[in-house]
Amino acid sequence: MPRCPFFGRANKGLEKPGCTRETTMTGRARVKARGSCRGQEPHPLEPPQSSSGNHPTVRDSEASISTNLETVKEGVSAGDWNACTLIQRRGKTWNNFLELGIHTREKLAHVKDCKTGSSGAPVKLVTNLFNLGLPREWHLFQYHVTFNPELASKRLRIALLYNHNKFLKKTKVFDGTMLFLSESLEEKVTKLSSETQKGTYIAITITLISELPSSSPVCIQFFNVIFKKILRKLSMYQIGRNFYSPSDPVEIPQHKLSLWPGFAISVSQFENKLMFTANVIHKVLRNETVLEFMSGLYNRKDKSHFIETCEKELLGCVILTRYNNRTYRIDDIDWSVKPTDTFQKRDGTKITYTDYYKQQYDISLTDLNQPMLVSQLKNKQIDSGEVRIAHLVPELCFLTGLSKRVTSDFRLMKDLATETHLNPTRRQQRLSRLADNIQRNTEARFELETWGLQFGCQMSLTGRVVPSEKLLMQDTTCQPMCAADWSRDMRNCKLLEARPLNDWIIVCSYRNEDAAQCLLSCLRRVSSPMGFHIEKPKIIKVQENTAAFVRAIQQHVNPDTQLVMCVLPSTQKDCYDSIKRFLSLDYPIPSQCVLARTLNRHGMMMSIATKIAMQVVCKLGGELWAVEIPLKSLMVVGIDVSKETCTKGYSAVGFVASSNSRITRWFSRCILQNTKTDIADCLKVCMKGALNKWYRYNNCFPSRIIVYRDGVGDGMLQTIVDYEVPQLLSSFRDSNSNYSPKVSVIVVRKTCIPRFFTEMNRTLQNPPLGTVIDSEATRPEWYDFYLISQSAHQGTVTPTYYNVIYDDNGLKPDHMQRLTYKLCHLYYNWPGLIKIPAPCQYAHKLTFLVGQSIHREPSMELADCLFYL
Amino acid sequence: MVDSDVQRVQVKENIKFTPSLSEQRHKFVLDFVRKHKPQKVADLGCANCKLLWRLKYHESIEVLAGLDIDENILTRNIYRLHTGAGDYLDPRERPLTITLYHGSVVEKDPCLLGFDLITCIELIEHLEAKELAQFPEVLFGFFSPTTVIISTPNFEFNPLFSGKTLFRHPDHKFEWDRTQFQSWASDAARNYGYSVEFTGLGEPPPGAEAVGFCTQIGIFMKNKPNAQSLLNEKTVECTHTTVGTVIYPSLKEEKYLRKAVSNEVFSQILKMKRVLLESLKMKNDSDSGDECEFVKPKYNESKNDPFEETPKPFCIENVFYVPLERLFSFPKIKHLCGDLETLKMLIADEVTLSSDGSSVMINIVDEEDCDLSDNDGDDL
Repeated sequence: MPRCPFFGRANKGLEKPGCTRETTMTGRARVKARGSCRGQEPHPLEPPQSSSGNHPTVRDSEASISTNLETVKEGVSAGDWNACTLIQRRGKTWNNFLELGIHTREKLAHVKDCKTGSSGAPVKLVTNLFNLGLPREWHLFQYHVTFNPELASKRLRIALLYNHNKFLKKTKVFDGTMLFLSESLEEKVTKLSSETQKGTYIAITITLISELPSSSPVCIQFFNVIFKKILRKLSMYQIGRNFYSPSDPVEIPQHKLSLWPGFAISVSQFENKLMFTANVIHKVLRNETVLEFMSGLYNRKDKSHFIETCEKELLGCVILTRYNNRTYRIDDIDWSVKPTDTFQKRDGTKITYTDYYKQQYDISLTDLNQPMLVSQLKNKQIDSGEVRIAHLVPELCFLTGLSKRVTSDFRLMKDLATETHLNPTRRQQRLSRLADNIQRNTEARFELETWGLQFGCQMSLTGRVVPSEKLLMQDTTCQPMCAADWSRDMRNCKLLEARPLNDWIIVCSYRNEDAAQCLLSCLRRVSSPMGFHIEKPKIIKVQENTAAFVRAIQQHVNPDTQLVMCVLPSTQKDCYDSIKRFLSLDYPIPSQCVLARTLNRHGMMMSIATKIAMQVVCKLGGELWAVEIPLKSLMVVGIDVSKETCTKGYSAVGFVASSNSRITRWFSRCILQNTKTDIADCLKVCMKGALNKWYRYNNCFPSRIIVYRDGVGDGMLQTIVDYEVPQLLSSFRDSNSNYSPKVSVIVVRKTCIPRFFTEMNRTLQNPPLGTVIDSEATRPEWYDFYLISQSAHQGTVTPTYYNVIYDDNGLKPDHMQRLTYKLCHLYYNWPGLIKIPAPCQYAHKLTFLVGQSIHREPSMELADCLFYL
Repeated sequence: MVDSDVQRVQVKENIKFTPSLSEQRHKFVLDFVRKHKPQKVADLGCANCKLLWRLKYHESIEVLAGLDIDENILTRNIYRLHTGAGDYLDPRERPLTITLYHGSVVEKDPCLLGFDLITCIELIEHLEAKELAQFPEVLFGFFSPTTVIISTPNFEFNPLFSGKTLFRHPDHKFEWDRTQFQSWASDAARNYGYSVEFTGLGEPPPGAEAVGFCTQIGIFMKNKPNAQSLLNEKTVECTHTTVGTVIYPSLKEEKYLRKAVSNEVFSQILKMKRVLLESLKMKNDSDSGDECEFVKPKYNESKNDPFEETPKPFCIENVFYVPLERLFSFPKIKHLCGDLETLKMLIADEVTLSSDGSSVMINIVDEEDCDLSDNDGDDL
């Protein structure tokens, strides 16, 4: 597909169905912003010192680890012991990640025995899953360990146990409280004694708590810990949950970026086998110190706002120090402190920053006039109430992650994609190399063997390709040549329903009048074959500023105006936002904005005009095409929740429901709400609205409802099962006490662990469109399947993962899968298949517009048309 | 084997050193390293590896080794010595390999041959009498490093502590006064061809100057460097086991050098390009509306130009040419590459060179694409 540069930013990444996102960004931490320490007493003031354990954040875990532990993320180590502590606490992170212990399938009678379909052509697939073998009757022994007298220091507890003769040669994992062994001790309760260096006798009591089978959640988490250990043995470098090879970097010098290839790994229980999965990922690092970045800003033409710009760009950024591998967030910049100033060390002595770095790290600072970055340190003792801050030298700090400015740089992102989007063949090479390393490395093998694990071969399985869909147009049906893009097939076909555009206005600047005229004539040329009638609009010319545009719109719209089209002179966001806000809130009329620059691409005018015409048809409430839907009286709903674009503390809940049985018209509602509130409540409001709308158009309620829930974060599954589903169900009863439709709720995930490749012409390729995988790589406790509905022209396709968590429709798995596939054809902003069902994509688009531009709930008058496209 | 915690507890009663004595000992070694710039350094009895950790920051050191009898303490502390992201983003100039060995200091293991400096900080007082007797032969006779630093407690200082124990640490087998240490050290030096100087750390409080430093230190220098160590290497069996080896990335490896050079080259080119584009823009603004491809700019930065003698970057059509010679005149690039040919070779894969190979070419109007993709608010 040729890239369509005129697609708006809002469309970016979404309308490119092949876009796989695999780049990890470090900015994650930025989201959960800590309070700025401005105005707070710097107490005690200290630069980062690690020589004598002055930074206590990681010490405890470090002390206990028998292999290396590299922490880059904010001193949060994901090492053995932390993980084990999580096992012990049954803590959030790990459970969230794997979502263990949620069993939804057992309640669904029709799929209890079999959840696999049978229709479609079988296709052989290779996966990124590796078998893990365990001996029969394998158990993990979990012990609780107490010390008498009690020892406060975890480090000491671990040292004592590790040094005890009884455990010297044993395979063990111990976090200070919980001990895991692969073989049981002779006694249920074992009493030992030991002596500290200071000569104190300590009694140690070790009590067996449980013998865990390999499928138990604790065991799964435990295996994940073991594999982390193994990857560290392969000299991989851990950041967050993932592992990277820094010695094999890919450089993109023109953008000052380094990419570290790596893997996201996990161990989980798939159907009846334990599997290790590895996904190829990349870590983006920036070859730029904060000082270089600052001087870059300083050398710009406009120096007057230097300090302001600097703070705007840097505050909140996560930086990596060159000398001690820690990350910090920049909370403030102290322009009054210089490297030649002194600070007080822990021991009370005073020293200048320059001397300190010379003494401690043998580093000579070159710029003695740089300011100091201020970072508020996390407190180990939460209650102490004492704010500790660190002063960091910009010259010694690397920027991490990709800033917003960077991600909006198309060229950079393109160069990045070239390196990070690996095709199946290259991906497979990396996977085999990893598997090879695990099997060859003696330490890794030893670790596996001591726990009885056997690293097996890569799993292959059989998927099915469901039949392709025909498109229903006004008088014809059309079988697209390629389901990924049917824009060619649709030429000369009449759209399903296009209301004539009689009363509309075009607003443009004086300079762009020609462009607007040109667009108009093209629109009229392309629209008649579509069956879309366009009358002459009123063209209003204005000055090139936001106020002029808005004023012109205010003056010229009237209750009969069907559409406002604006030719925007620049990419200024506020102009777009103001227009959208006015036309979605104050005076609800569908609007269409086009960038003047887009219209300068003369060679592409016709295809640009075609796209615009189709979008306009949708915005006026028309229908472009349909697919055959065998079920009558079926309402499909898409829900997306987005936090990203909203004001802090708020999230936008987008709800889009079909309002006819052909599934071509959509009712929408977007609610902004405090993140703390349960979204279940607003779902009820939305659902009632959708049912009323359906009733108005069809004189009855839908007999079946299928809800696709997108925007589910890690670990939210339980909440959805426990709260959202019951709320949705109760809203039907509220509408009419006799009304009880058949309902299904499906959680849609755009990211998932497995990848599938197929072998064609002796090379590995992405599986064909419409490939369904519903066995072996699925989870036994869920009614789940993978569907590949997007084509990746670069890289490897990420399958979309569907988990049916509630279903009394009783559709056969075959039908559920095909219906889902059909729905991926119905997104009117793209003439082709998309990654997720259309209602989810509509809901996403809606939340994006509201979160990014409107910031309020749009007028209900627009609820019947796709104004948010 | 250095247990600073214990020591601090006992010292705190009436005498407290600032900075702590263990910190002072480390600083002493570091100052010594800064002055003598040894390449190969070993720490015997490295325990928690903190001294090694401090040493790894010194550019002069290329080989760093640690030896301890307690394997557990090494496996638990080796993480301190691992490489970090910063080491890859900004590699060292010279290579560095750190190895931790598990074994006894009185075993003649060839892995410690040929060192420039071996430190034994608060080590000898932990040795049993038999081991102590063998130690000089192993250290001076066999390892035979160019310099040795040995530190040990000064027993004469002990009465100033209020602690009731005889020695400062329960594991100490002995603590010597100055005469005992100095005679042991001088004997060893004489027997194996070293000269020794004595000093110490931790000044006694006023009035008690007679007891001497809290920690006594002997610095040993080999009288004449010999080259026989290579012979030994083959004849003696290895007894130490390697707990771990960490290899640091350095600019001696071509891939890191290439990266460092191309990063620097790009940042200079981009800087020049930005200046050019800004000057174009200003021109454009005054001309109102002329397309920039029709303007043939004269890249001119005559004022404040520190590289006047080198050829200036220039612009033909939409292509910006930066002469390699110009790039080479930047001190950092010069330092990294050494000569112009190396520069050319190192960046050849990353940039487009002009047909005669004398300049780097870069397109100045690639902005167009970027802008289009970034069309904010284009709704279409």
